[in-house]
Amino acid sequence: MEREVSIKVNGKLYREKVEPRMLLVHFIRERLGLTGTHIGCDTTNCGACTVLLDGRAVKSCTVLAVQADGKEVTTIEGLDGEKLNPVQQAFLDTHALQCGFCTPGMIMTAYWLLSKKPDPSEQEIRDALSGNLCRCTGYVNIVRAVQEASRRMRK
Amino acid sequence: MMSELSTVDMFVRGRGRFVDDINLLNMLHMAVVRSPFARAKILSIKGGINGKELKGTLESVGEGATEGAARTIEPVLPVDMVNYLGQPVAAVFGSTLYEAQDEMSGVEVEYEPLKPVVTIDDALSSPPIHPYTNSNIISDRWRGKPFEISAPVELEDEFYNKRVATNPIETRGIVASYDGRLTVWISTQSAHAIKEGLCSALNLSPGDVRVIQTDTGGAFGLKGGLYSEYVIASYAAMKFRRPVKWIETRREHLMASRPGRGAKGKVKLYADRDGKILGLKGEVIVDGGAYSGGMAEFSSNFIAMQMTGPYAIEKAHVRAVSVFTNKVPIGPYRGAGRPEAAFFIERMMDRLADELHMDPVELRIKNAADDRFKSPLGVEFEDSRSFIQRAASELNYSSRKGEKPGFACFVLVPATQPGESCRIVVRDGRVKVWTGGNSHGQGHDVFVRKLISQELQVPESIIDVERGDTDMLEEGVGAWGSRSAMVLGDAVVSVARKIRDQAEKELGRYTPELLLSNRYDVYNFQKHERPLNSLGANMVFAEVDEMGMVNVREVDAYYDVGVPLNRDMVEGQIIGGSIQGIGQVLSEEIAYDSQGQLLTASISDAGLRTATTAPRFVIKLADSRSSLPHGAKGLGESPTIGVPAALVRAIELVTGRRIRETPVRPEYLLGL
Repeated sequence: MEREVSIKVNGKLYREKVEPRMLLVHFIRERLGLTGTHIGCDTTNCGACTVLLDGRAVKSCTVLAVQADGKEVTTIEGLDGEKLNPVQQAFLDTHALQCGFCTPGMIMTAYWLLSKKPDPSEQEIRDALSGNLCRCTGYVNIVRAVQEASRRMRK
Repeated sequence: MMSELSTVDMFVRGRGRFVDDINLLNMLHMAVVRSPFARAKILSIKGGINGKELKGTLESVGEGATEGAARTIEPVLPVDMVNYLGQPVAAVFGSTLYEAQDEMSGVEVEYEPLKPVVTIDDALSSPPIHPYTNSNIISDRWRGKPFEISAPVELEDEFYNKRVATNPIETRGIVASYDGRLTVWISTQSAHAIKEGLCSALNLSPGDVRVIQTDTGGAFGLKGGLYSEYVIASYAAMKFRRPVKWIETRREHLMASRPGRGAKGKVKLYADRDGKILGLKGEVIVDGGAYSGGMAEFSSNFIAMQMTGPYAIEKAHVRAVSVFTNKVPIGPYRGAGRPEAAFFIERMMDRLADELHMDPVELRIKNAADDRFKSPLGVEFEDSRSFIQRAASELNYSSRKGEKPGFACFVLVPATQPGESCRIVVRDGRVKVWTGGNSHGQGHDVFVRKLISQELQVPESIIDVERGDTDMLEEGVGAWGSRSAMVLGDAVVSVARKIRDQAEKELGRYTPELLLSNRYDVYNFQKHERPLNSLGANMVFAEVDEMGMVNVREVDAYYDVGVPLNRDMVEGQIIGGSIQGIGQVLSEEIAYDSQGQLLTASISDAGLRTATTAPRFVIKLADSRSSLPHGAKGLGESPTIGVPAALVRAIELVTGRRIRETPVRPEYLLGL
């Protein structure tokens, strides 16, 4: 039995009929074609699917599309306009990615952290990122990227 | 700061093109029904595409490919027996992923469970798991020569590196499409290996198949070889005349993607009282998993070859055995045999140092080679004595000895053979490049662009580095075994120089402007028959709390990478690989119970390190040019070789507990 949902994604309102079992991540990727949000596990461990739901970082593989009804979602595609968002730019500048697969989720978590805490300590950054797994970088440059973004955004 | 990285621009914008991002019109999604048993007879099977319909076997292709005994090679789909938990038995399809998953309940398989062979010890003592063999031995070879000596010091010990999952954050996946010709988009380390494997499994001629590499979200050895799901998806695309997508779930990855390590080593050292090693005997046993071919038999012999490390040990004799178990076949994981060998010999060096009350670094220097040395087991390396001395001095070993560092040395044996290919096309004022091995995170495009820019004197901004595509490049090998900077770099330089020569010949002189106003299309497969080994050393500091939890304080590396093609990327490789090495030592394991059921249910259970803690890194490079025109040496696997061996020593020094296996669990450190 399909249900209609209204979900605002990156500022645009979508009215779609979905099965109640459809995960938000599949809604974003398959229905809307926004493939920047990735799927890396099926147990809510890896964080590759992180998006903002009403401004809060959530793992979209553990939210049903129907739970997002009436809410607002921001994905990686919603962060940059003409220019890159400072967090995206900092990831580029500090070599904070290798294969690039965990990157959108990392950036969304980092963006969310900096939106509520503009000047986090290294440990706060590390704790905030602990739900996002990266197999390539060893996290060192990702932490540097968040510190760099924090510096630039406070300027 | 890395302004030259242009492909990663797309990644930070979420505009990469990974295999799951491809959606073709009318595409089917595939879901795979898998064996719930480690070993069982299939009494009957109904539904989906199953082994009664799709016959064929998985040819061993890619990294560590070996032929394997024909009757024990993995079938694409089994008909009479399943031999590991998670083995594919049938595939079903739907127009959405959800529909495909619903179809799984329509497949009926009747099993008669049998007692599985789960451990290496089980394998050696149990009847064979395959009806066609006399034992569970996949391969059994000797390296070196037998010897008899009596030495004042004889030390013997046994070690074990348990299986770990490769766990790239992007799992495996494929999209196959057929329009009279099969086109496959795949997350891979080698488009050409996948093509070879598909042609063999489906009995297609090379002209019938095109394989294109998508952006590849990490691989670490996982994605070089052929898997059943690739063959089934391709077959289904041909059968249904509709594109087919299959994306592996993480749970599938943990049970049915080939993991690495899974090796036991027994080593006996013969030495004099001054610490000079007179001989080494040993045995390696690799837990090969359920089928032969590839790493299952390659690995034990490869480990045995490296068991004397960077030391001038004149006498050595090592037995290399691989055994069948009812587990997913073993595969390559970053290092692929090199870390196991380093673990075994470096553990023994530390034991010998303790036995003789010698400094472990002094003992290593004493046993190092003064000149080029070829070990009786078959590894060649240059003057390791001065290297280890320099490493100790660069990393300030003497002054920091009181902090109880673990110190380890190794020879990196990269997979240089048989070489690599490159094609460069100059047209319309731009330079397009196709290469036989391509990035799965290492950033091949950065050094390829840099080398071409240097050779042809053209700006990097007009050079496009394309992804692997078998239609654009006649042959190719792949990206693994620390090879790309060396052999791909060499291939790129060779093609650039051919173009330059050609341009000079045609035009009388060479200028970049003249080059770009003309058209060129040059291909070369640059052969490499000889190894290009290099040396490395790590020093690691750790502390252990009262709960047995290890904190790695600092990881130091002194590696000979030749001419570093890009310093930031070299450091990125070292840091990332070090964290993987730490993972192997502290937390990573794919664990099974006595029935061959998987105890590791999630990527977190598998022990991946998180961002929560990280050591300080000190990275020093010994940049001595290699014999290649661009001077590069290997790197990618070095940290997963050196860091585990150094870290276990550091843990041993601070806890006083002798460490013989990985992972090292807190309960072991607490003596529970």
